[in-house]
Amino acid sequence: MRFIWISAIKDLRRARRDPFGFATWLGIPLLLGVMLTMVFGGNGAPLPKGRLLIADEDHSFASGVLAVAFAREPLDKMLVVERVNRREGRERIDRGEASAFLVIPKGLQQAFLRNQPFRLQLFTNPSQRISPQIVEETLSIMVEGGFYVQRAAAAELRTVDAGQSAAIGAVYRRIMSLRKGLDPPLIDLETQTIQEKKQPKSIAAIFFPTMLFMSIWMIASAQAADIWKERALGALRRVAVTPARLSAFLAGRLVFVALVFGGVTLAGIAVARWLGGVPVANLPVSAAWATLSGTAFYLLMLLLTMQASSQYAAHVLVNLVAFPMALVGGCFFPFDIMPGWMADIGRLTPNGWAVGQFASMVSGPLDARGLATALAALVGVSGPAFLLALRRLRRSFAI
Amino acid sequence: MIEVEQLRKQYGELTAVDGVSFTARPGEIFGLLGPNGAGKTTTIGCISGLLQPTAGRVRVMGHDVVRDGTAARQALGVVPQEIALYEDLSAVENLKYWGGAQGLRNPLLGERIRQVLELTGLEDRGADQVKRFSGGMKRRLNFACGIVHQPQVLLLDEPTVGVDPQSRVRLLELVRAQARAGACVLYTTHYMEEAETLCDRLAIVDRGKVIAAGTLAELRSMLEQRDLLRLSGVFQPAAAREAVAPINHIEVLQAEENLMVLSLAEASRKLPAIFAALEAAGADVRGTTLTQPSLESLFIKLTGKELRE
Repeated sequence: MRFIWISAIKDLRRARRDPFGFATWLGIPLLLGVMLTMVFGGNGAPLPKGRLLIADEDHSFASGVLAVAFAREPLDKMLVVERVNRREGRERIDRGEASAFLVIPKGLQQAFLRNQPFRLQLFTNPSQRISPQIVEETLSIMVEGGFYVQRAAAAELRTVDAGQSAAIGAVYRRIMSLRKGLDPPLIDLETQTIQEKKQPKSIAAIFFPTMLFMSIWMIASAQAADIWKERALGALRRVAVTPARLSAFLAGRLVFVALVFGGVTLAGIAVARWLGGVPVANLPVSAAWATLSGTAFYLLMLLLTMQASSQYAAHVLVNLVAFPMALVGGCFFPFDIMPGWMADIGRLTPNGWAVGQFASMVSGPLDARGLATALAALVGVSGPAFLLALRRLRRSFAI
Repeated sequence: MIEVEQLRKQYGELTAVDGVSFTARPGEIFGLLGPNGAGKTTTIGCISGLLQPTAGRVRVMGHDVVRDGTAARQALGVVPQEIALYEDLSAVENLKYWGGAQGLRNPLLGERIRQVLELTGLEDRGADQVKRFSGGMKRRLNFACGIVHQPQVLLLDEPTVGVDPQSRVRLLELVRAQARAGACVLYTTHYMEEAETLCDRLAIVDRGKVIAAGTLAELRSMLEQRDLLRLSGVFQPAAAREAVAPINHIEVLQAEENLMVLSLAEASRKLPAIFAALEAAGADVRGTTLTQPSLESLFIKLTGKELRE
C-alpha cells in the first residue's frame, strides 16, 4: 500500500520536471476551443434559422391555414416548418432539436366556426431566444385575427370551404380595421417553455466537453506510452526484483494519472466557466466523472500499448486506434456538429460514451440512476483492464 | 548465502542455462565468468526471481526464490547491467524511490541515502538530475540504488560495462567493501582481469554450463603452469599440427589458416624449435604473443575459443 504512494510521488516528481508537456496537453484544446468559439460566434448566439414542428391533429381547413402561414414570406426566411405527430414533436423539442413545437388539437375548425373557446399548445426551446419568439408572436397575431373573423363573419364562415381561402383573407383584413372595442378572443394560445435539459447553450458550451476530453485523451495516450520509457530504462525489471509488488507499482501510476486528470478537469472547468461563460452543473460529479473516465482511458491505452512488440510499434498502434476514436468519439469535434450517422457511431465508442455522459452532467439535472449505471460500467471496464495490464506486466513486459 | 542446484532455464528449444550448480557464501565475492550469451544474466534472473527456472532450485539466505519469493527478495540487492535510473529525477529522489521499494522508511532511509552517496562519492551531487551525470557517475548511482537497503546478498550483473578506468576502480572497491561488510556478492563479468583481481571463487560458464569452478589458485592449477603461445600468420592447419607435434609436452589448442594457439611449459625456451618446425611445414609466422597462465588461457584450453569472442 505504501509503495502505491511512493510510486505516485515518483511520477508526480517526474511530471514536475516536464511542465511544458502538461501545458501543451491542456493548452492545445484550450486554444482550439477559444478559436472555434470566436469563429462560430459564441456567447449564446442563436443558430441562423429556427425550426418549427407542427402536430396538426385537426387536419382541417383552419388548421391548414394556420400551419401554412409559417411557411410564407417573410417567416420562411427565419423558420423551417416540419410536420410531425405529437409524440415525435415532444421528443424532439425535449432533445432541443427545434425552436418551437405547435400542437393543433382536434376540434379547432369546429370551435372556430361555432364561436367556441379553444386552446392551442406551443412548446418553446429555452436555449434559443429569437426563433421561438417569432413563432409565439406570429401565432398570437393569428389567434387574435381568427377571433375577429369569428366575430365579424361567423355566418359566412360556415359556408367557407377549402377553395375560398382568398375570401377569408379579405374578411380578415376587414376585421383587423375594426379590432377596437371588440371582446377578447375566445381562441386561447397556451405557451409552455419546456424544462431545460441537456442542451448546450452556446458554441463554447458545445465545444467545452470535447476540448476537455481531447486533453484527457491526449494525456492518457502519452502516459500510456511512458511505460515503454520505464521499460527501456530497466526500471520495471528493477521493481520486479524488489519486495514491492508490480500491482502496487501499477496502482501508483493510476493514482498519479487520476491526480493529473483531476487537475486538468478542474482547470478546464474553471476556464470554461470564467472565460467562456459556460454554465457547469453538478460540478463535483462532473469533475469526478472526467477524472475517472481519463483513468479508464489510460488503462485501456496501457493495455493496448503493451501488446506492441517495440516502442515504435506501440506508438504506431496507439495512434492507429486512438486517433480515429478521438475523431469519431467526440474528442475532436462535438457530436452536435457531426453528421447524424457519425455521431451515432461515435457515441458507441468508449470515449464517445464518456463525453456524452459528461456533456449531460454539466448541462442539466443529474439522473442518479443513470449515473450509477454509468459508474458501474466504468468500473466494469477499468477493473478487468487493470488485471489484464498487470498480468501482461508480470508475465513478459516487466522482465 | 546463495545456493543454486541443477538450475536449468529453457526458452522453447533453446537451453540458456543447463544444470548450473554453485554455492556463494557470506563475505565472499563469487564470480560468474563467461563470454556474452553464456547464460550469466539468465542465471542472475533466476536467482533474483525475475525468471522462473525450468528445473532446479535456487535459495537466497535459505528462502526458495519460487516458493518464498518475497522473503528472498527482501535479502537481495540487485545492480542490473543497464542503468536503471530515472534520469529526470535527482540522485536523492532515485535513492528514495528504490529504497522505498525495498521497504525502507525515514529516518533510516534518509540516513542510508546520506551514507551511500558518501560511499559512491556523489554526496555533492545528490540534488542534481541524473541526466546531468557522466556515465561513470550514473554507474555509481546505479550501484548505490542496489545497496541502499544493506542487502545480505548482492547480485551484480556486469556492473562495469562501459565504465571509464577511474570509475571502474572505484566500483570494484565498493564491491569489495560490501563483501568485507559481510554480504554475499555474486559478480558476473566477461572481463577476465576483473574476475582475477576481485573474486574469491569463480565459476567459468559457457553455453549455459559451468565448465570449471573453484578458487583462482585451483583454476590456475588446472593449467599445470603451462604458457599460452599465440601465433599469427599463414598456416596450413593440418601440416602445422603435424610439424609441432614432436616437440615435448606441446598441446595444440587451435589451428586455423591465420592463427595457431599452443599450450606448453617453458614456451620461451622452445620458441626456436617451434619456428623451425613451422617454417619447414610451409608456415609464415608474422606475430607471436606469449601469455602466462591465466583465466583466459584456461578458458581457451577448456573451450578452444577466446573469452571475448
